[in-house]
Amino acid sequence: MTGSGSVTTGPLPIGQFVQLVKQTVVRDPLFKNQALRGEVTQWKQYPSGHTYFSLRDRDGQMKAVIWKGRCAIDPNIKEGSEVVVLASIDLYVRRGDIQLNVERIEPVSILGELEKTKRKLIEQLTKEGEIDRQRLPLPAIPKHIAIITGAGSAALSDMQRLIENRWPGLRRTVIGVLVQGPQATEQIVRGLAAARKLSDPVRAKQRGEPPVDLVIVGRGGGSPEDLWAFNLEPVARAIIASPVAVVSAVGHESDVLVSDLVADLRASTPSDAIERVVPVLPELYYLLDEYQDRLGNASRRQINDNMQRLRTLHARLRVAPMEGLNRAKAEIFSLSSRIKVSANQNISAQATRLAQFEASLSAIHPQRVLERGYSMTQTADGSVLSSIDGVEIGQSIILNFADGSADAEIKNTHQNEGEK
Amino acid sequence: MNDKVPTYTEAMQRLEAIVTTLERGGMGLDETLKLYEEGADLLRLCKTELSTAEGRLNELQLDEIESELQED
Repeated sequence: MTGSGSVTTGPLPIGQFVQLVKQTVVRDPLFKNQALRGEVTQWKQYPSGHTYFSLRDRDGQMKAVIWKGRCAIDPNIKEGSEVVVLASIDLYVRRGDIQLNVERIEPVSILGELEKTKRKLIEQLTKEGEIDRQRLPLPAIPKHIAIITGAGSAALSDMQRLIENRWPGLRRTVIGVLVQGPQATEQIVRGLAAARKLSDPVRAKQRGEPPVDLVIVGRGGGSPEDLWAFNLEPVARAIIASPVAVVSAVGHESDVLVSDLVADLRASTPSDAIERVVPVLPELYYLLDEYQDRLGNASRRQINDNMQRLRTLHARLRVAPMEGLNRAKAEIFSLSSRIKVSANQNISAQATRLAQFEASLSAIHPQRVLERGYSMTQTADGSVLSSIDGVEIGQSIILNFADGSADAEIKNTHQNEGEK
Repeated sequence: MNDKVPTYTEAMQRLEAIVTTLERGGMGLDETLKLYEEGADLLRLCKTELSTAEGRLNELQLDEIESELQED
């Protein structure tokens, strides 16, 4: 018989049945690496190196075993000690007994000590002003994210998947570290140091990539002891010292960790961190396209309006002298001479310019004109030169071409005939 | 706007201001062309920003990255 739902014809040998039960039980993730709390009874350390005991509280109990060399055992643990263990369920087929395979065991009193240290550290950091210090801004577009977390962890694959959904191919460097156990603190600190080096612009240039501009440090959820490295001073100090923004992304709900208090952004889980720092790329492009359309449409309308206004003005100016003639001849003479000078010069120049604009309406951009071989002349202060008036010999000018510009000096000037 | 290259956020804010001004209307030709050009430059800058964020995916153990950084 294999799997559930198959039908057997005869009674099943008990050994096979227990084996099946075992397979089902050990496969359940709920029973894997659970943090459990209880009181130690029947504590027995055998010469073989294995330790057997039961973990119990008012409501229930279960046998437990710590295989030889599995973890360090605090010598203070004895009959009646309150402990927290990290354990997975196992079934001893020969006897049909369910037992806990213990991976780690800590007396609860130690947790109490840890709590005290954490509180002291928070007090100290508050006094130093680190908790309330000005936070570094997060980059709107992260160009290089460093992710410091457990290599091959579920938290990492969650983050990777989420990034690919939001911004495929976003540049990132994952620094795989141990996030629990005795080496975790040191490894996280070293990971942050490596990220710091990657954030150095000079070094980044040598490596041929943008400097790291955002650091995510975190892990998935676990028991308080599992997360403890994130409550320790070296990690807190390394986060504070980071020259780029750091996101604390440790999966936990209730208790605040010291890393959360000192980071530039606190995320509730690694996935939450990604959602808060990685933009959705298609949305950004959509926004840019929208701006592009609005910019083009609004500019075209402005140019059309301007041309319309000038055409009207031009027409009105041509008839104005005739209307005024009957009322005040003298005034009209002076007016018409003014119009001749200013209107003919300025307005028709404008109108001509506009006619040119009209002709090249589809190619609004001055660049197009330059590409056809014209060049634009500017004075040193940037204003455009469109007349020989006021141009002096020896004056410095800039000639703008379609693909560049050149500095030049006026050697001589010539007024076109009939222009004055 | 000063000579410093604006950040993505600053560029987007300026773009919004430019587009709003142009859409309100009443601009002269010079001003219109100046704004159009500035807006087009900002759009180009933003698109470049987005494309530079794409790149290598490194996944390294602490020891590997440390020795890699040592070699630099």
